[in-house]
Amino acid sequence: MWGREVDGLRLTFHLAGINNQNFLMRDEETGTYWQQISGRAISGPLSGQTLPVVRFDELTFALWKSEQPGGTVLRDVAAYVSDYARKDWDVRMRKAPTVLSYAQPGLAPRDLMLGVAAFGAARAFPYDAVVKEKLVLDRVAGQPVLLVVGPDGQSVRAFRAPSDFYRTAGSSALMMDATTGSQWNFQGCSVEGPSKGACLESVAAIKDYWFDWRHYHPDTTVWTPRR
Amino acid sequence: MHSKRTAIAAMVAALILSLFCLIYPVYVIRPFRYQGPRELAVALAVVRYRPLAMLLSALLAVAVAAVCRRVLTVLAAVAVCLVAGLSRINVYELMFHPLDRPAFQPAAQSKLDGDEKVLAVSIGGKARAYPIRGMSYHHVVNDVVGGVPIVATY
Repeated sequence: MWGREVDGLRLTFHLAGINNQNFLMRDEETGTYWQQISGRAISGPLSGQTLPVVRFDELTFALWKSEQPGGTVLRDVAAYVSDYARKDWDVRMRKAPTVLSYAQPGLAPRDLMLGVAAFGAARAFPYDAVVKEKLVLDRVAGQPVLLVVGPDGQSVRAFRAPSDFYRTAGSSALMMDATTGSQWNFQGCSVEGPSKGACLESVAAIKDYWFDWRHYHPDTTVWTPRR
Repeated sequence: MHSKRTAIAAMVAALILSLFCLIYPVYVIRPFRYQGPRELAVALAVVRYRPLAMLLSALLAVAVAAVCRRVLTVLAAVAVCLVAGLSRINVYELMFHPLDRPAFQPAAQSKLDGDEKVLAVSIGGKARAYPIRGMSYHHVVNDVVGGVPIVATY
């Protein structure tokens, strides 16, 4: 997800190639080729520029709808609906081949990870393990970070954690901070207690295959759950 | 005699140049093949200069055919023009149709299953969701959310 205004020029993008299982896009305004995964222009007049970052979440539709009842959804295009992926395509893709591996003990190339690139470092969190834990407290480049699983048991968000947090089973809140005892919801905002109204700083956590994350973040570390 | 050899050489050059410009990028930039950054840069440079190369090849081939007027040279010229025409086709957009005019509906009206995954953005107070099942086909959607032009990718 990227902004498409560079130096005051609004760009219109077209799919222009497959690039190590991500893709390339070409803008029709300058004919420059951009890498989808990094937002960087790699060939053409705007070579070397990077698109502005746009924060996004990957959520289940039901959860998103409950958070944003006034939001709008991209419509299917009737002519191509039969070509759209099935709901479980990410499960089926786990068996597809990869051009790069980076397999290591405990990490298969297509293992789903939540990748956090923040504070100058990169850390990967195995998705299934995070979902099982429901709340993970960790550090990225020394900064305390928390990953919390939503009420749908599938969506995950990451935030900067100013103190220790605990998972709770409230109706609107799902975690509590140890310092003030305030209750916080899945949007990282406090709904009850002394911190009510405050919101945690969000940290981008991107769902990605291990091989892809490792390829673009060669120095990444990997979180493992405490036994 | 000299000019016949020159003509053949010119035609062969046109054929080789046009075929190289058509095939090399598709050979490099294809799925399930690792692309090193240098060969990718070369392939993209070929793509960017391809329209000019194709035009020159086609002009050269047609010029030779116009002078020689033998069946073989005319066929070769047609072949070069065909290759030049093919190079205008974006095979990736043929495989994955672009979503040129994205349309949206209010969340309450969407028939999307609650379990379907979406990419969600919130800009300038406006919230928008892009279902992954459609995005994994179209790959690229140019949009404007809350006044900010963005491109959704998957």
